[in-house]
Amino acid sequence: MNADNSNWWSRLHTRYGLSGPAAVVLLAFFLLVPLLPGEFWTIVSTEILILGLFAMSFNLLYGYMGQISFGHGAFFGLGAYATAILFARFKTAGGEIGMTDFFVSLAAGPPVAALGALIVGFFCVRLTGIYFAMLSLAFGELLFYIVFSWYSFTKGDDGIQGLLPPRFFQDAVHYYYLTLAIVVVALLAMWRITESPFGYIMRTLRDNQRRAAFLGINVRAHMLMNIVIAGAFAGVAGALWGPFSRSVSPGLLGWQESGIAVFMTLIGGAGSFMGPLLGSVIYTLLQAVVTMFTSYWPLTIGSVILLIVLFVPGGVLGLIDKRIGRRRGEAADASDQARTAAEKP
Amino acid sequence: MAAILEVTGLHKHFGGIHVTRDVNFSMEEGEQSAIIGPNGAGKSTLMNLLTGYHRSDAGKVVFEGQDITNRPPHSIARMGISRAFQVSSIFAKMTVAENVRSAVHAQMRRSLDVFGVAARVGIEETARVLELCGLAAKRELVAGELAQGDKKRLELAIALAGRPRLLFLDEPTAGMSIDEARGTMELVDRLNRELGLTVLFTEHDMGIVFNHARKLTLLHRGEIVVQGTPAEVRANETAQKVYLGEHQV
Repeated sequence: MNADNSNWWSRLHTRYGLSGPAAVVLLAFFLLVPLLPGEFWTIVSTEILILGLFAMSFNLLYGYMGQISFGHGAFFGLGAYATAILFARFKTAGGEIGMTDFFVSLAAGPPVAALGALIVGFFCVRLTGIYFAMLSLAFGELLFYIVFSWYSFTKGDDGIQGLLPPRFFQDAVHYYYLTLAIVVVALLAMWRITESPFGYIMRTLRDNQRRAAFLGINVRAHMLMNIVIAGAFAGVAGALWGPFSRSVSPGLLGWQESGIAVFMTLIGGAGSFMGPLLGSVIYTLLQAVVTMFTSYWPLTIGSVILLIVLFVPGGVLGLIDKRIGRRRGEAADASDQARTAAEKP
Repeated sequence: MAAILEVTGLHKHFGGIHVTRDVNFSMEEGEQSAIIGPNGAGKSTLMNLLTGYHRSDAGKVVFEGQDITNRPPHSIARMGISRAFQVSSIFAKMTVAENVRSAVHAQMRRSLDVFGVAARVGIEETARVLELCGLAAKRELVAGELAQGDKKRLELAIALAGRPRLLFLDEPTAGMSIDEARGTMELVDRLNRELGLTVLFTEHDMGIVFNHARKLTLLHRGEIVVQGTPAEVRANETAQKVYLGEHQV
């Protein structure tokens, strides 16, 4: 039984890398969370899932395409606002929203975010490295200011309040399971994309853009497509955010929100598919716990990032991967030695 | 035989320096020839011009009857012109097989395919190229961790994926041991003979040039000094003076 179990486990690891076991552990964790007493951990876990999806969409650009964006929050925010604006229109005078209207407004998030990504991406794909990062930051701030200043349409600095989901989803556990279902479907789609021919072309662009061009790959067109895909998934996360926190505000588009995705990805590990989600677990749980005791949250997360960047540059999953690799290497060496020793007469 | 590549009046300057001056030459289908010349003669620049990495200032490049002058690299590559670089230019974090597989996908026009499973697309062609370049046993290794000679072989494998009709090789044996160099050039000969691949390469080793090229073009300061069979080039006085003299062939 035990041997079977470890076989199954190692097969999972061989086939999907560390993301396989990580996915199983995280899924078990997420399924069991609502069993904990009180709503607190369920609410925290909803946030983990939404921000985790956001961070994973960011990692399509960073870990897979090799470009760092400091403006990814713009697409999260656009998704959130698309949903929120529609949501507010659908709402009855009594503040109620019908089930269909609720899902229609959720569905509005991803396409609007993707459209924003198409426009921003059109310019960003002309650049790489620090210039790509700076241009994405500039566009993010630009969109932030548009939402911030366009009071008649977005309610500006006030944000949009009172996004109370239909009665059934007002229950924290119900909204949590809705979020879990949508995030799991989104991650499966994202996994398929990263394992598709296109997903591997992204890796070639990360490793060596010039060479990719000489293979017949239109570098800009492929980068643009990836930015649109990443924007759409950020939009899914954004759409879920409004009804979860009952409000949206321009800050969702800003550089601080973008920074959250960067932090989570660095903490969890950009090198594996599940890394950013694990990063979200660590970041969000830490925030939930730390803010219970102190208001020095920025100081705390700053120190964590410092330690990660200095001592665990591959993130937590990267570190575990290295450890396992070393242990496996040693085991293989040991069994090789045993075999050669046994073969000796 | 029909001309597969025709270059007329090609010209390129960087600032005041003319790196390519009125270059005219053509290649016939199935030909295997070399560009030689001292350092700085403009060999690499010429390859960069032909593959779209640099824009030419004047002149025309025609491949299989189509004008490809100043087209972007990816569009030239898609027409069936491939190149391998002097310093191996591979995808360092991907495995050997993934390197070749993605190159195959690009030539199959599947690079935008998000619905397929990469591990199941173009695998026969990938296996064929790996086998051809002697990399089958190393397919699961991470490309960046290969030995120098293997990196150069992978460089060639990536260029061969998707069956190009014209192949440019920039110093294909640079940094290789004598044995590795011999193996590589035997492979190039085989591709040319058996598959009819048209090959143009640059090389510093005159032994390799005279053994493996049937036509030579000698460049000096961006200009063609002499063109012809190895024997003709060897007999040429200017060639002796500007280049071959120092190599004592």
